[in-house]
Amino acid sequence: MSGRTISDIIIDAHSLDEDRSALFRRVSVDAVLGHDATTALLIDDFERRGLSIWDKSKVLLTNDHFAPPATAERADISNKFLGWARGLDMPNLMLDKGICHQLLVEHRLCQPGGLIVGADSHTIMAGAVNTCATGMGATDILFTLATGTTWLRLPPTIAVRFTGALPPESGGRDVVLELLRVLGEGGAQYRSLEFHDETSTRLPQDDRFAISNMAVEIGAKFGVFAADEVTEAHCRDRDGLGPGEPLLGTPVRPDADAGYERVIELDLTDLTARVAKPWSPGNVVPVAELEPTEITSAFLGSCASGRLADIRDAAEEVAGKRVHPNVRFVVIPASVEVFKQALRAGYVEVLTEAGAQFNHSSCGACGGIDKGVLGAADVCVSSSNRNFRGRMGHWDSRTYLASPRTVARAALRGAITPDLYREAQ
Amino acid sequence: MTSGTDGATGPVEGRVWRFGDDVNTDVIHPPAFYSLDPDKVRRGLFHGYDPTIARDLRPGDVFVAGRNFGCGSSRETSIRAIKLNEVGAVVAVDFARIFFRNATNNGLPCLTFARPADLELVEAGTRVVLDPVAATLTCADGTVVELVPPGEFVREIWAAGGLLNLLPTGMSAPES
Repeated sequence: MSGRTISDIIIDAHSLDEDRSALFRRVSVDAVLGHDATTALLIDDFERRGLSIWDKSKVLLTNDHFAPPATAERADISNKFLGWARGLDMPNLMLDKGICHQLLVEHRLCQPGGLIVGADSHTIMAGAVNTCATGMGATDILFTLATGTTWLRLPPTIAVRFTGALPPESGGRDVVLELLRVLGEGGAQYRSLEFHDETSTRLPQDDRFAISNMAVEIGAKFGVFAADEVTEAHCRDRDGLGPGEPLLGTPVRPDADAGYERVIELDLTDLTARVAKPWSPGNVVPVAELEPTEITSAFLGSCASGRLADIRDAAEEVAGKRVHPNVRFVVIPASVEVFKQALRAGYVEVLTEAGAQFNHSSCGACGGIDKGVLGAADVCVSSSNRNFRGRMGHWDSRTYLASPRTVARAALRGAITPDLYREAQ
Repeated sequence: MTSGTDGATGPVEGRVWRFGDDVNTDVIHPPAFYSLDPDKVRRGLFHGYDPTIARDLRPGDVFVAGRNFGCGSSRETSIRAIKLNEVGAVVAVDFARIFFRNATNNGLPCLTFARPADLELVEAGTRVVLDPVAATLTCADGTVVELVPPGEFVREIWAAGGLLNLLPTGMSAPES
């Protein structure tokens, strides 16, 4: 019998069943995440059934899809959600503070070794801090809000070993797009993806968030990084812990003889910029092999890539230059905290001077919801996580997914061209 | 015959609507139709892909698809749209996990082919009878296609008419 993977260990630690061989396991959760668009769908059932929340302190709620609302209908939905949460006196209701997934990883509720469910598919992003986190729909989340439990199938695990040294112009987005190219959309369906950073350059925390975030685009249930010194440093800094103080969570590494369905090694040494063409995140090619593609829109934001390092990369690229006159360049920091950090670092001014415009921290146009949606003729280069047909607006619009650095370079050029990384900048 | 909803898991009879691989939730239900208004949600089903689908669907019709059906968002409006159009069941080579949970939790039967190649036996527009509990799909010419049996826990949710109806006894452990 082989040893346990990270998700095996975390699910065992949260199991409520004696029988650990059961196909479906009933588990307790450490936290629940919800936002306006999905939580609004469960409110009527919650009230009709006279339910109560099992532990309000473990629920993090925010409005991020309609923030602020663009239509009267969405304002009504937003008010319904906010009114419900306020009526319950929810202690972790965060009004207009940013995208729920970013707020979760900025919060102490998200700890190494934890098990978290959220009413949005990108909840998986918390895997970047060694948490088993996964997205579910409103009905599942309602069940968990009422009971503090859910049911899970124990997933097989695919281990991914990142080795080599990541080139400075490449980032977490290029890494995960390469993984999507290798595995394909759905290639890790129902699996736990377990990431091991064995690179000499070390993947920074913000890059790990991008990788875990898009693990769901490969179909994964979890996208969890093995705990290491990067995880610990992030948690210490966030939780305000001194060097000698114990972590609030329980960092988990797999058993030495863990049983994996498959082990993939990805040597990052020669990894160049990647782009996913319409209309699948798995439709990935190197930027250098893309036919020149004129763009009308550039979007830097979303839970996949709206963090400080992403905004820094873009600011580096556009400093002292001008966004191409045919391009609308929208930047949305993933949270108000990220926005404040970007302000202090001067990135907001650099990007604004170059012609980019900032919108309030929210999901923005990623889900085709808020300001910046695309028209039929629009071609967008975007740091968001999905380029499904019609997602960002019109059915005929086209979205190319890329790293923040590629988004910025394309915004200056007015096109994604194969030589974006070849010419001296 | 029932539509397989409202706690019923009896056979479903209807016409086949065929779809390909990797059909995502934004295609199933475009974000512009996200709403709490059931009529708006209903009209949004496959609206960008083919706006005539929601118009031409009849109760009990069956969606038949390839790999990874329902990948993408967790928004249950995609399930609501399918149910509001009274689609009886979805049969696919396999499903994205959130979609499968959402559908099951809301009593919409989702079944997979015992032999994925059997997808080709099921032609668009033909009438089929699908028995979710027996896990069979009977084609118009009498061919019986085997599906993967749903398992005790899934049948328990179907029989209850959805996960929320298990809430009063929901603290009992699901069985494999």
